[in-house]
Amino acid sequence: MPRMPKRIKYRKQMRGKMKGNATRGNYVAFGDYGLQALETHWITARQIEAGRIAAQHFLRRQGKIFIRVFPDKPVSKKPLETRMGKGKADTDYWAARVKPGTLLYEISGVEEDIAKQTLARIAHKMPVRCRFVGRRIAV
Amino acid sequence: MAHDTPTITATLRDRTGTRFSKRLRESGRLPAVIYGHKTDPVSVSVDAKEVITHLQHGSHVFTVDVEGSKSETCLVKDLQFGYLGDNIIHMDLARVNLDEEVHVNVHLNFSGTPEEGKATGAIVSHPLSELEIICKVSAIPEEIKVDTSEHIGLIMTVGDMQLPEGMRTEVNPGTPILMISFVAADEPEGEEVDVAEVAGTEPEVLTKAKEEGAEGES
Repeated sequence: MPRMPKRIKYRKQMRGKMKGNATRGNYVAFGDYGLQALETHWITARQIEAGRIAAQHFLRRQGKIFIRVFPDKPVSKKPLETRMGKGKADTDYWAARVKPGTLLYEISGVEEDIAKQTLARIAHKMPVRCRFVGRRIAV
Repeated sequence: MAHDTPTITATLRDRTGTRFSKRLRESGRLPAVIYGHKTDPVSVSVDAKEVITHLQHGSHVFTVDVEGSKSETCLVKDLQFGYLGDNIIHMDLARVNLDEEVHVNVHLNFSGTPEEGKATGAIVSHPLSELEIICKVSAIPEEIKVDTSEHIGLIMTVGDMQLPEGMRTEVNPGTPILMISFVAADEPEGEEVDVAEVAGTEPEVLTKAKEEGAEGES
């Protein structure tokens, strides 16, 4: 089932702006390798779920997948054949705001080539260009 | 020392700031600053390719030959990364003595798989990939090798590790460095999205509940 918040303060949100690059969540923190977004986009809960399923089908109970983004933004959409006006529509789907540099998924417990193949499969499900990254240098 | 200290040549930066640093990076140099030991900080630039290669091989200490002054032993104190989080754009170097004790993060290199980890459905994860250690500058290792093949149990903690002589850590001994978890054989690999089920679930709206509560009281 796609992810969404359990509790929210307000039912609807404004669309907002997504300027600049990611300054948080832009390095591999939990796993050994990661998939990093190179573009700005809203990633829907369904796309995140599709990526998870693609990874788990490929991994077949090996390794561990960490999902680093959470769809906490409600996106509303008016029903078809509805006249304009009469207020803001109901929530249609939930999305995660992704900026260039955001880590989308991380993987641990598998070899580098398996991690690359898995994250490539996830990348096909994403609406943004992605790249494979490893851990930063420790100082 | 666990390895020879690499020597790098640094050039003084007479002009600092974003634009000059950007120009330096474009010409293959890496802006850096040397400070510490109650001496004035010095803005320098070093060869980016050479330094990054040493850092990738686990070097923490450099002998820095600054043009026009004596060479200094420096510890890499901090690195600044670019917008994608992995390209190094600036380096902080702290002056140190070889006998000084310092705190450094060292990469943990795991080898071997415990017996429990070889079972079907077992997932071996390493929650900690680097460890903060306290040791003399001359004894900083490139990495700490951790042999997990003879470990018994599902969790290995910092306390179970054998640190090399002359090193200690202030990290909580109960912090796990290796965990083995099992995936149930009958657990589905991935569920398909059920549209009808999704449409029926909605998050709880906190402000709405408050309003209803206030109405009920009045």
